[in-house]
Amino acid sequence: MDRTKVKEIMSKALFAIAAVICIIAVVAIFVFLILESFPAFKQIGFFKFLFGANWKPNGDDAFAGDVSGSYGVLKMLVGTLLSTVGALIIGGVLGVFTAVFISRFCPKRIKGIFNTVVNLLAGIPSVVYGFFGIYVLLPMLGFFSPNGSGSGILATSIVLGIMILPTVVSLSKTSIDAVPQGYYEGARALGATHEQAVYRAVVPAAKSGIVASLILALGRALGETMAVTMVAGNAVNYPTGLFKSFRTLTANIVLEMGYAGELQMGALVATGVVLLLFVLAVNLLTGLITGRKKSGGGRKKTAGFLSKIFYKVKLEKIGRYVSWACAIFAGVALVSIVGWIVVNGVSHLSWDFVFGNYSVVDYKRYTIGPSIIATLMVVALSIVVSVPLGVATAIYLNEYSKKGSEFVKIIRTAVDILSGVPSIVYALFGAITFKMWFGGTISILAGSLTITLMLLPIVIRSTEESLKTVSDGLREGSFALGAGKVRTIFKIVLPSALPGIISAVILAMGRVISESAPFIYTMGSSIQPMPDGYMSSGTTLAVALYRFASEGKYMNEAYATAFVLIVIVLGLNLLAEWLGKILNRKLKGETNAVRKKRNS
Amino acid sequence: MRYGKNVTVENAELFYGDFQALKNINIEIPENKVTALIGPSGCGKSTFLKCLNRMNDLVEGCKVTGSFKIGDVDIYGKIDINELRKNVGMVFQKPNPFPMSVYDNIAYGPRTFGVRKRAILDEIVETSLKEAAMWDELKDRLNKSALGLSGGQQQRLCIARALAVKPQILLMDEPTSALDPISTGKIEELMEELKKDITIVIVTHNMQQAVRIADKTAFFLLGELVEYGDTDDIFTSPKDARTERYITGRFG
Repeated sequence: MDRTKVKEIMSKALFAIAAVICIIAVVAIFVFLILESFPAFKQIGFFKFLFGANWKPNGDDAFAGDVSGSYGVLKMLVGTLLSTVGALIIGGVLGVFTAVFISRFCPKRIKGIFNTVVNLLAGIPSVVYGFFGIYVLLPMLGFFSPNGSGSGILATSIVLGIMILPTVVSLSKTSIDAVPQGYYEGARALGATHEQAVYRAVVPAAKSGIVASLILALGRALGETMAVTMVAGNAVNYPTGLFKSFRTLTANIVLEMGYAGELQMGALVATGVVLLLFVLAVNLLTGLITGRKKSGGGRKKTAGFLSKIFYKVKLEKIGRYVSWACAIFAGVALVSIVGWIVVNGVSHLSWDFVFGNYSVVDYKRYTIGPSIIATLMVVALSIVVSVPLGVATAIYLNEYSKKGSEFVKIIRTAVDILSGVPSIVYALFGAITFKMWFGGTISILAGSLTITLMLLPIVIRSTEESLKTVSDGLREGSFALGAGKVRTIFKIVLPSALPGIISAVILAMGRVISESAPFIYTMGSSIQPMPDGYMSSGTTLAVALYRFASEGKYMNEAYATAFVLIVIVLGLNLLAEWLGKILNRKLKGETNAVRKKRNS
Repeated sequence: MRYGKNVTVENAELFYGDFQALKNINIEIPENKVTALIGPSGCGKSTFLKCLNRMNDLVEGCKVTGSFKIGDVDIYGKIDINELRKNVGMVFQKPNPFPMSVYDNIAYGPRTFGVRKRAILDEIVETSLKEAAMWDELKDRLNKSALGLSGGQQQRLCIARALAVKPQILLMDEPTSALDPISTGKIEELMEELKKDITIVIVTHNMQQAVRIADKTAFFLLGELVEYGDTDDIFTSPKDARTERYITGRFG
């Protein structure tokens, strides 16, 4: 018996240590943001920073005391807000109607295809959308533009809108699917048509889920960096016209952090703090609309607003056509982007380009072999570190900590907030902190650690979600048989939660491969030879695509890189779906015979 | 270590935070008998049941005072709680088979206590299933998932699973309330058989069930033990007016 007890205590200690490490990491981000931005806020003034219209960093400000530069982010604040709203209008409207279509109007035969396509597209790296923006969208829009250039708020909104589309569709669809069939049948029993039942009974019942999906999409649009820098124009202006060059907060950070002086760097971290405040506001909004059932005020208002729109537009008459049109448009847009890359990518693919090494001697012959290796190295290290730590922390929070504890509540909130913080904020942290640790040089190690920090909250959250779906009855059953906590966790809880955790891990891999902003200033962004270890610099695939696409001279390389990137990410998503299905089936103990019976 | 089979509770009180769920309970549950706990919802009967294997320890803010003895052992004293639960098995209202095979479900308990040899486990699985009268039903599907069984089969499997660690006492918390009449009948027959070897304490909402299967019946109301005695006496000549009103269906 003593051995069991030792095991219990040891395991609890291990879980607690993991939790403490994660908590320190989480706290470190907040502390970093506050400490690094404080001098800048102090010197510039909080309100002057927030509401100042001039952003003119002075290159000389590294010399102490020189404040001749001015730092006000108002123009970028407005730009961020407007482009986010624009993205939400485009992606939100299209997305919600497409979701309604898939859930209620779509013929059965193509429903499965639509579902798979949407789920797969949700994983496409944003750089790919930016690439599409530069080479297809901008020339098209430039045709209508008075100044001949297509970049500006319209292009940004469209790119962001398309980018958030799959997210909106798949989450809204889930909540529409979850509406009890009784609502629909009740409406039909009262003599409503199919359209009336869908738009008057089913969609209103799903509205809190729909609004939540829009808010999540809002968070993504707000935090997107690289795709935006590719199409916004990036001049510090108010976005006064559809085609006026402007800059967002995230773009501001990535554009200037490479060469910023001391005060300027502080001001960039302060920009990150402003982004964090946005995320806080978004979180607060989500809390009002979903979760907290008692304070239903905000929820009712938003929902009432939505229904009003539905009533005004007489949706039950045209609803079918609107949702068909939106779905076709969304489908065509997404498929054609992927198709454009596949067609062009395949034709520029070569064995040497994908697997060859790059040599400075033959510097015009670019290859992405080194980028693939660097990407794999980053994925391996970040997953190996973040998954055990994150899963252990989630176990500690969900299985060991006291249910009502204030401390745990605070940790959960912090994790929630951090999982919504734009990657560029982690990039700042990595570029300043890790570079300092490793003697001021960039390295694959620094990049991996940066992305690890970003993955932690994501892994913790999704693991906790999976642990919560395991019914307490199973835990009680195990305890009642005299099993201890450790045995219950490892034999009962974890196996039941495994499908969820595994798909979370695979999606986390996809996240690492898709990200670009956190790597540029932590591990490098130029095409270079094979890395010879974690201390050498490196360029991930997504960053390589950014490099090829934004320099404008390497279209063929960009196509091929985008193709490889898409193949990898789609492959991972397919793997996640397939593994999830298999594990779930195994867990439910569905035998082949049963499955055959159900299918026939 | 083996516990006794009889339960002696003196001056038991239980609090959930500020709420007192059990008030001064005194009861002696005899060995190798079926004792039914009846009473309206929220009267404390399930709470009391969970005191006997300390499942209430899992509830945040739960405090227990008084003396709970199984045989001579004070179960709220310095004991190994897992050892207690090995001696005092439990079956829940909703069947809760683990998401694994029938075999692994039953072997879960013995494995917890260190049984590793396949031959011994095989034997335990067979005896437990025989004791639960489902060996013939299941012997050909031991390696199939337990989740594929019907609700009634799942619940009997949970009983077999509880029997596999050779408990002295079996607690049953409304074990048939989620089942159809035929499955209920099978479980009631099973209890008749089982009480030859072990003590059974069952919480039930169904008074006819108490009459059918229980030797002793305890009536709980608002956290108090109102009346306790032989089932026949409780249902034919209750001493307390509240018991009479409950069993004749005036409230509850």
